[in-house]
Amino acid sequence: MSEVQRRKYSQEEKTAIFDGEFMPHIDSMYNFAFRLTFDEDDAKDLVQDTYMKAFRFINSFEQGTNAKAWLFRILKNSFINEYRKKSKQPAKVDYQEVETFYNSDDVDYQSTTDLRAESVKDMLGDEISNALNALAVDFRTVIILADLEGFTYEEMAKILDIPIGTVRSRLHRARNLLKDQLKGYAQSMGYNTDEEEED
Amino acid sequence: MEINDQASGERKLQCDDVNRCFQLLESILDGELGETGKEVLKEKLAKCQPCFEHYHLEQAIRDVLKTKCTKQPVPNELADSIRQMIKESK
Ligand SMILES: [Zn+2]
Repeated sequence: MSEVQRRKYSQEEKTAIFDGEFMPHIDSMYNFAFRLTFDEDDAKDLVQDTYMKAFRFINSFEQGTNAKAWLFRILKNSFINEYRKKSKQPAKVDYQEVETFYNSDDVDYQSTTDLRAESVKDMLGDEISNALNALAVDFRTVIILADLEGFTYEEMAKILDIPIGTVRSRLHRARNLLKDQLKGYAQSMGYNTDEEEED
Repeated sequence: MEINDQASGERKLQCDDVNRCFQLLESILDGELGETGKEVLKEKLAKCQPCFEHYHLEQAIRDVLKTKCTKQPVPNELADSIRQMIKESK
């Protein structure tokens, strides 16, 4: 934890913060953990581990600040530092590798997707979910944080320890990759993906 | 944010600056520009076909992610086991 230790909470205060500000986020935490690990037991361990750390370092949490973002940051760091090492599945793309390859904030927005908004709207939850799960962990992470959990760029920058410009560009790339996945579904479902034709 | 469609005939078919426009549209959709974004958005969507299409696709993607992405049910015993672990660690 890099946060400055502000002051010590009493046992009662600790319990109040833990129950009142930390525990209400357990659903979001578990979903994030599950989408990172794809395994129920691993997700449970990761969430438990995160809450243990949150309790141990509770004095570095400033009451009234964004507890959810604070918890997500701990979970993300636990995942990278500990979980990933003992993970059975070697991830295809590593956080570090992605940093090296994609650290540039310059993005070419020119890329054309012939995916139509209409065909996206018709897709099923499972198709969306599978498309998201198919993305490399860095890209999956920013979409989960932004679209499923509603974090702002600034909050994401803190959770991921990256500049806001990198949040924006990574999110843009992630959504483009997601569009490629969805395009595959749209085509297999026989939706019209050709922009030239009108309905 | 609901934006009314206008006849596409009034829009130019080439975007003057795709990089800047699309980045702006995406920031607006992500809620990063607040009220100032709304005016810019209205203008772009009314005048530029590529911006119009990009906006609606990006909005659809965000909507389905927000509303359709299946949530993994949290195991019942998880909250209790966390509370138990905390109790034991005190
Ligand atoms: Zn434009």
